[in-house]
Amino acid sequence: MSEKLNAKQLSKKITDEYMEDAFRAHENGKLIGYSTAISPVEIFVAHDIIPIYPENHAVANLTAKKGAQLCSITENLGYTSHLCAYARSDLAYRESGITVTKGIPEPDLFLACNAQCFTLTKWFQVLARKGNLPMFVFDTPEHIMDKKARQEIVKYCVLQLKELISFLEEVTKKRFDYDRLKEVMKYSAQSSILYKKFLDMAQYKPSPISIFDALIGMAIAVYRRGTPECVEYYQTLCDEIQAKVDQGIGVLPKEKEKYRLYWENLPVWFKFSDHAKLLGSYGGVILTSLYVHAWSFDFDLDKDPLVTLAENYVSVFSNSTIEDRVEMAMELFKKYSMNGMIMFMNRSCKAVSFAVPTLKDILVRKTGIPALVFESDMGDQRFYAESQVRTRIEAYFETLDRLQADKPAA
Amino acid sequence: MWENLNLKQIVEYAKDPYPSIRKWLKEKGKKAIGSTIADVPEEVIYAFGFLPVSLIGTDKPLKKAPSRLPDNGCSLARSNLELALSYEGDLFDGFVLPQVCDTTQHLSDIWRISFPGKYVESYLAPRQVDRPSARYWVKEEIERLIASLSSWSGRSVSDKALNDAIAIHNENKKILEEIYEIKKQNPGTMTNKQFFSMVKLAMQVDKGEFNKTLKSIKAGLKPKKGKNYTDVILVGITCDPPEVFDLFDEIKLNIVGDSLVTGSRYLQSIVAQNGNPVEALTERHTRNGFFSPIHDDVYKHFEEVKALYNATNAKAIIYVHIEFCESQEYDLPDLRRMIRQEGIPMHILDTEYQTVSLSHLRTRLQAFFESLKGGSL
Repeated sequence: MSEKLNAKQLSKKITDEYMEDAFRAHENGKLIGYSTAISPVEIFVAHDIIPIYPENHAVANLTAKKGAQLCSITENLGYTSHLCAYARSDLAYRESGITVTKGIPEPDLFLACNAQCFTLTKWFQVLARKGNLPMFVFDTPEHIMDKKARQEIVKYCVLQLKELISFLEEVTKKRFDYDRLKEVMKYSAQSSILYKKFLDMAQYKPSPISIFDALIGMAIAVYRRGTPECVEYYQTLCDEIQAKVDQGIGVLPKEKEKYRLYWENLPVWFKFSDHAKLLGSYGGVILTSLYVHAWSFDFDLDKDPLVTLAENYVSVFSNSTIEDRVEMAMELFKKYSMNGMIMFMNRSCKAVSFAVPTLKDILVRKTGIPALVFESDMGDQRFYAESQVRTRIEAYFETLDRLQADKPAA
Repeated sequence: MWENLNLKQIVEYAKDPYPSIRKWLKEKGKKAIGSTIADVPEEVIYAFGFLPVSLIGTDKPLKKAPSRLPDNGCSLARSNLELALSYEGDLFDGFVLPQVCDTTQHLSDIWRISFPGKYVESYLAPRQVDRPSARYWVKEEIERLIASLSSWSGRSVSDKALNDAIAIHNENKKILEEIYEIKKQNPGTMTNKQFFSMVKLAMQVDKGEFNKTLKSIKAGLKPKKGKNYTDVILVGITCDPPEVFDLFDEIKLNIVGDSLVTGSRYLQSIVAQNGNPVEALTERHTRNGFFSPIHDDVYKHFEEVKALYNATNAKAIIYVHIEFCESQEYDLPDLRRMIRQEGIPMHILDTEYQTVSLSHLRTRLQAFFESLKGGSL
């Protein structure tokens, strides 16, 4: 990689090369494995299977405001309007070919990890049926709080990872290389540390990054982890952001950064920049969410790779209990000095959203910070009420202003 | 309490079993443990001396549940939460809750936080059933449930107690299956509503007592063929509110096969009585792979439904869709396509637990069967 490239250029280069490699997979004797965004993809990488994430492709289309058009196509196929917008837009892409990108290559096999949700399993089942293709479900029972149960859950997951390896050996007729897995894990561990370092730069005041930077910055962690270029990318990104910190450059100037906000859930992809501008006009910056932290893994290279993979993937926020999610969020509140929270009830993502009302009540009680709750959809514009959301945001900042004015001077 | 019921009483009790459960618990000095469907091995709860009660919603209005589970949450899950939050929560000392879909993923957390004084345990059944690890995991979970109940109650459970519980549950399912066979062949003997109320009540009350009722009912049955019945297969998870069965009875449908969790999927979950109860319960789960809807394999489901349709010479399939059930909704378009390609008439009923009027369902159902009569019936 050229050292002259900045993070944005490097991201584009890595993405272009990855997609080119993916589209030529069969020419090069490789297979395409569709994977959920949170899954032990290191095993794919170590076995030379190119991972493709239909969720990422869906995000590109939903961010480009194609959601309503695509979702309508899927609904005409008999699917209901309240299924995940990723799934609906993807099924529509299969039907119509409509996409704002060059599309994604067709799959040869599937890996569905339900640490994120069950929806992905069901969605992948639909795709697997279409092509009569093999699918592996990596089942991650909820990471409940009982310590002994957790040990058993990890054992069950390790057993399944061994089954996954046998499954891949069977499909590819190629022996799995555990040494190669160790090498891949090394890159994954390094890039995860750097990715977390990048996210944690939101601790600075003013914060040099907002969640919108994190959402853009996380892409490479999602689809290129386990590779040296992923490590290089996050090193470059961290260096760039550190330079901003050194110069005191924030998303908002220090004197204007009034509200450092927590965001719960996935973003409203098609309102990405609008939300950043709107919040900025009130002195608000959303710093982080548990969602962006989902890829800041903590792999222990001294352990059996399958054990550390199992431990990390089973314990992501979406597979943790509400009590643990509260703890994870509280840690972020403290670390990032946040003084506001936006709790998004995302109609598309039931797995994450159905915990939100309970999570919100506990976080409000523990932090003493009021919460803004709004309901919409991450990708389907038909469920977004512009004026209602805007009014709620305005009212929320008025509340925060009032609370701040009422605070006794330090 | 449930030893000597007639069919009319069974329908009434199944509609609202809770007053009788409350009275029975008081009389017996026992505790009730509620479970949402599916997969929780109720035999284990029974073996500890508790009353296992399957929670299958309420038709009473939603008041508190919407603040915990929004309106795009599965109707059954919301209804169950409401049942416990507003109406019958005091009845239960604890809950064992399975995780079978996105709606239920954090449900046991929500219940645990909502009922801080009660025992709330998750039952984490595997979401894959075809690999050896699934069997390993089912066994682990059954053993964890036993340890958890033991720790909470301060009681231990012997293999004998587990085997006795299995025997009582098996007997219950066996008699119900025998009554079902009589009803299928002789639809004039009892209504669909009466039979499925019987299954539902069996999932909620003491089996030891209820088996006496079932034996007596079976012995007293006078099989009647009846006239002008149309044989149908019922496909789905649950079929509620119970008045939906009135609609079937009104137009003289005879359910001759089903795949309901509150029907045949329950009746077929008999456990082998081979001495090792945990192994046998594990075997039951892996054998009944698609007991829980999350790992429905649509091809397998289709083949099973088709086989049932052909074996029974049914005239149509009625698919019962629960509002906002994602598991069903991802599978339904393909399942419907396969069924229709096979030339099997299929009607989809959209149901919701808090439904107050069934007139739209009645109209659609009548129209479907009238059009069917114009053809092959």
